[in-house]
Amino acid sequence: MYLELIDVLISGLTNGSVYALMAAGLTLVYGVSKAFNFAYGSFFSLGGYIAWMLMAVFGTAKGYFFVFILSVPLLLLIGYGVERIIVSPLRKRQDWEVKVMMVTLGLALLLDNSFQVVFGARMKSLPPIMEGALTINDVIVSYQDMAIFILSIASILCFRWMLNNTRLGMAARAVAQNPAGAQIVGIPQNIIFASTFAVSTAMVGVGGILLSQKYFISPADGWDILVKAWVITAFGGMGSIRGSLYAAFILGMLEACVGWLFGMSWILVANFAVLVTTLAIRPQGLFGKWG
Amino acid sequence: MLRATNLNAYYGEFHVLENVSIEVLKGQVVVMLGPNGHGKSTLLKAICGLAEKVEGKIIYNEKEITVQPAEKLVNQGITYISENRELFPQMTVMENLKLGAYSKNARPHERKNLKKVFRLFPRLKERKRQLASTLSGGEARMLALARGLMSNANFLCVDEPCLGLQPNLRMEVLRIIKEINQQGITILLVEQNIPKITELADQLYVLEEGQVTFQGNKDQALGNTQLKDIFLGM
Repeated sequence: MYLELIDVLISGLTNGSVYALMAAGLTLVYGVSKAFNFAYGSFFSLGGYIAWMLMAVFGTAKGYFFVFILSVPLLLLIGYGVERIIVSPLRKRQDWEVKVMMVTLGLALLLDNSFQVVFGARMKSLPPIMEGALTINDVIVSYQDMAIFILSIASILCFRWMLNNTRLGMAARAVAQNPAGAQIVGIPQNIIFASTFAVSTAMVGVGGILLSQKYFISPADGWDILVKAWVITAFGGMGSIRGSLYAAFILGMLEACVGWLFGMSWILVANFAVLVTTLAIRPQGLFGKWG
Repeated sequence: MLRATNLNAYYGEFHVLENVSIEVLKGQVVVMLGPNGHGKSTLLKAICGLAEKVEGKIIYNEKEITVQPAEKLVNQGITYISENRELFPQMTVMENLKLGAYSKNARPHERKNLKKVFRLFPRLKERKRQLASTLSGGEARMLALARGLMSNANFLCVDEPCLGLQPNLRMEVLRIIKEINQQGITILLVEQNIPKITELADQLYVLEEGQVTFQGNKDQALGNTQLKDIFLGM
């Protein structure tokens, strides 16, 4: 009982850290450009498939080194391109927020079906990033879980540092806090929109690489992730990155506990229960503000 | 330094500016007076590349700059300081100032301008680690001016800097604007009706219903009885 509970906590912590990374990315784009990206989950699968392909090319021995070195720039590039080509042209139109949702929804379907055509419907698996486990008394913590946790926390810290200390990060915060003010000081908004979209794509893609080794990669996996990231974003407060970090860990823990107590099929129910409760009791989320 | 000819501006269907022409010479303070909602702010925004739809011609330092996005104009030294301040509320005073120096043209001069700004606004130096949202109205106004100066501008468009301030703070703001001007920065200032504004102005314009209805220097403005009654409050 006691050992099982520790397993649950470790699983919750590991998943929570990856959720935090992915939710922060979604929040970033929403906070800066107020655009809602429905293809976010498909970029998760894309990350997994890119890792799988690179693994196939470079072999599994040194695989993850090349995977991270090559996939991050690739994901950044894809994100930047997607924003410039399909999101940015909509921004001048009326009701562009709704149009962005529709276009990214279309992109998600296109990507998912392309995955199925290219990679087939069968699930792919990635090898664990590290083998073996640490045993303290009777508690077993796999190195894989530790590596995933450390990598996602490191990515979040790196993201936070960029947001607070680089010109791009400052500009992104400026646009999120006051678009008119950002325009006045001469921040080119289009570049900021595309860059934040690119960064968020890399964040969810890395999340895909990290989580796919624990579960599997299949073409329609992204939808689950989109729902989770959405729930976390709403629960934490739309546009609040700090809120999404707390919310991600709470949700990761909740999922692990619900999965353990009631079975995995209840996890999605738990997600939606959190969403409904949030919207009913505190619609602005944990750290959100009105307006 | 800057000459705008036959400017027309629109907000949706609404025709805000009608054939407005103004000229600002290097080193001058030009004051634009007029009632609320008659297009003064729109004129400044049109010059600074922030208005929605603009027609006409704007020449700046012998170069045509009409219909360029704000980020390009800031880089050429034209900066808008908004009547609404438009600060970044969840950032510190220092971060706001640093973002003021975002443009390529301003970056190399950041440290020099920071010193200059802190000399002009010692209050901001004391509060540099405070969030902008915690500043008082007067301090926020100062920060908006200071952030504008950080852009290394040589042409400042200042939109109603005295709006919502107490009379003694207004005088302080006008004094600082004068000082900024004496450091060689050309200023186009929009105000509603403040006594003493004429002392500052080399040239005055009055904008009513989107059209220039008066243009002249200080003495001409003071000699114009109608103007004196309505706008100068004397």
